Amino acid sequence: MENQPNKSRLEHRQREEETAEQRTTDKTKKGREFASVEELLRFDASQVTPPPAIAERLKESLEKEPRQPWWRRVFGRRRTDS
Amino acid sequence: MEMNSFISCMDSEPAIPKAGAPPADLGGGTWLDLYEQHSRYVYYLALRTVRDPMLAEDITHDVFLKAFRNLGGFRRQSSLRTWLYRVTINRCRTVQSTWHQRNVISTDSPDVLDGPSTNTEDPLHVLEVKELGQRIQTALNALPSEYSLLLLLVADEQLSYQEVATLTEQSADAVRGKLYRARRAFLEEFRKTE
Repeated sequence: MENQPNKSRLEHRQREEETAEQRTTDKTKKGREFASVEELLRFDASQVTPPPAIAERLKESLEKEPRQPWWRRVFGRRRTDS
Repeated sequence: MEMNSFISCMDSEPAIPKAGAPPADLGGGTWLDLYEQHSRYVYYLALRTVRDPMLAEDITHDVFLKAFRNLGGFRRQSSLRTWLYRVTINRCRTVQSTWHQRNVISTDSPDVLDGPSTNTEDPLHVLEVKELGQRIQTALNALPSEYSLLLLLVADEQLSYQEVATLTEQSADAVRGKLYRARRAFLEEFRKTE
């Protein structure tokens, strides 16, 4: 019986440590917290916008592309994902 | 693990373009839709991998150009996102293996870590986000490239562990094991940046 409070305290501490370990606690100046590394990276990704110049360059590049022959349009290419 | 993702609210799986559709047929909307749905992820992966906004811009352009050229050959054996990631990873590897990248780009330069424009106009928020981005980049730079790639891929909730495993050419179990170590290593490095 005497061990009960100690055990409970130990369990509580273990839980706290686990929680702390699971959390990527990044307190920024505004006190933002992230629950995991992935969440932190997702937030970072959400703040990054591809420069509009890429879409413009891409549009120009696509306009310069020669029109493909019908058989390539129908059957595509053999190798695509390298 | 709790995932309060911004991703789920901003995109759904895109319609795969009709097989064989040439780039010209994608003009006037469709190619732009595809680009808008996926470019953020392609660009972010490239940016955090090659650590240079200009190179990331070139890679994103090349990846989508290649994608539009080859959409006819897309067999739907994987999701389009996975397919784009595969091309991005290969392109990043090519860029990283060039002499120029290895010798001229200095990732220690604050200019390189400045990164691209962010989503907001609030100067304080911009500063905060920029600083956080720099810390993340610094932490990722300190990791083995395999770990940083795993973390960046797993952060995209559209990818399953199996897809990440396929992209990184290993089993899903290996991904889980390495991911555990990658998270710990990242946290350690990230805390050093405080």
